[in-house]
Amino acid sequence: MTAKPVEAVGLVRTFGDLRAVDGIDLAVDAGEIFGFLGPNGAGKSTTVRMLVTLLRPTAGTARVAGFDVVKDANAVRRSIGVALQDAAIDPLMTGNELLRLQAVLHGLGSKVGVTRSNELLERVGLTAAGDRRVGTYSGGMRRRLDLALALIHRPTVLFLDEPTTGLDPTSRLAVWEEVRALNDEGTTVFLTTQYLEEADELAGRIAIIDGGRIVREGDPTTLKEQVGDPTLRIEVGDAVMIDIARSVMATFGEERPARAGRVAIGLKDGAARLADVVRALDEQGVPVAHVELDSPSLDDVFADATGRRLEGAETA
Amino acid sequence: MTAVLDAPRSRLIVSIEQVWSLSVRATVATFRRPTDFIPGLVFPLLMAAVYASQFSRAVDLPAFPEVDSFLQFILPSSILQGIAFNASNAGSDMATDIETGFFDRLISSPVARQSVLIGRVAGAASAAAVQAIVLMSIFLLFGAPVKSGLAGAVALVIISVALGVAISGFGLAVAIRTGSTEATQAMFPLIFVMIFISSAFFPTALMRGWYQSVAEINPFTLIIDPTRNLVISGWSWSDFGQALAMTALVAVVSLGLAYRAYLRRLRVS
Repeated sequence: MTAKPVEAVGLVRTFGDLRAVDGIDLAVDAGEIFGFLGPNGAGKSTTVRMLVTLLRPTAGTARVAGFDVVKDANAVRRSIGVALQDAAIDPLMTGNELLRLQAVLHGLGSKVGVTRSNELLERVGLTAAGDRRVGTYSGGMRRRLDLALALIHRPTVLFLDEPTTGLDPTSRLAVWEEVRALNDEGTTVFLTTQYLEEADELAGRIAIIDGGRIVREGDPTTLKEQVGDPTLRIEVGDAVMIDIARSVMATFGEERPARAGRVAIGLKDGAARLADVVRALDEQGVPVAHVELDSPSLDDVFADATGRRLEGAETA
Repeated sequence: MTAVLDAPRSRLIVSIEQVWSLSVRATVATFRRPTDFIPGLVFPLLMAAVYASQFSRAVDLPAFPEVDSFLQFILPSSILQGIAFNASNAGSDMATDIETGFFDRLISSPVARQSVLIGRVAGAASAAAVQAIVLMSIFLLFGAPVKSGLAGAVALVIISVALGVAISGFGLAVAIRTGSTEATQAMFPLIFVMIFISSAFFPTALMRGWYQSVAEINPFTLIIDPTRNLVISGWSWSDFGQALAMTALVAVVSLGLAYRAYLRRLRVS
């Protein structure tokens, strides 16, 4: 196993004038969960589509499971499992039928196909629903079936594109558990997500993509430490006072991006100075509606890298 | 254990299994969506019923071919209509697959690239065979048998299968090129207009002017006329050969277009 599961050098994809992916390098190690993080339109899906051979790179090279994604596309397809966010499941077919079809597409014999379909249905908790049409499945059930479909040929590298987008918290936890279990069994997972929490929870290493380029890469803990000071967020009770609040707080640390009506700074020396900030604001007559002090999160890492908050993030 | 289970299997067998599974999927989908197959049965029968009662005396016109009834005369046309309905589904189902991303799911697997296209065509072909058998049986019940007997019925099924392939090819070409269900469905009225401006419901000998000129060179006329001879006159190898050859020619064109669009889609993406 000398070849890395995923390795990209100078990967570029343009659509007309748009450089959707603008020269990215990636190296994913065997057995890790690699989180690929970015807002909608950052180039996540375009990158994944190139890695899973659905889209040709305009420039650069990528090797997946040791094979070139252009020259040796079929070998790549045999080695990887793919669950794309936008790859629908035919609602007229049953879970069982889809799994068996997937087995045939991967060139597995019908006996193997049936055995594995049953195993996988059980694994993702869909045995009882296996003979029902997918059209009757809930969102969580579809996602679990999707995962099962990606596993039929026991791939060594698994690509999960936003596996929990739109799922309720319970279903999300079920998918997370399954991803962890798969990883424990040795599967390398390439996970794209727009949920910081998900990347934090699952990934051993992450890359943040924005505007087609990778802006941060590393393990989440180190990345968070690099951002440094904890974030202090103040919600100002009176909108006209926001500029005063901003200038007061600027003396305590560097301003960070925040939602409208709020001011955020990286608080130097952390919690010890929280009381000073509140007092200073009070002296200037700024009504404080809400105070939050957060240790750096991945969201802060993202904000630090891009100057923006990640869409859909809970804390902003 | 895994190594034994995953022992390499013959590529030919794998490809055949893939085409088979994909065409079964196409067919199963058709029958699970009643709006897919009911119009293809009801519409031709309705037209046949109306025409047969309205134009029953047309058969007495000079230059009208020798037939038992008008119903017998339009048997091949009704089959053609039905097939045009069903074969159009092959195109719009493919477009739906592309729109929803199911197509991506298929081609991100190591499936033989051609299997995805052939599976769709095979699905349309088998639907056409069913269509022909069902319609011939219903016409038989209403007293419009195929005069050339069992051989003629088998010939009609074979021609129908070829027609299913030929017509589905056009829909698939548009579907694959545009990836849009709307665009694909918008094409089908064209096929129906072409059926109307052919000998499907009236002999060309009784037409006039540009209508007649168009009808005479319309490929559907060149397919319908010899097929109809099998229905109304009796067995003839040359009629069967002509109908099949003409259909095959159309199929080569339409599949060629579909295949070209398919390669292009795989290359661009």
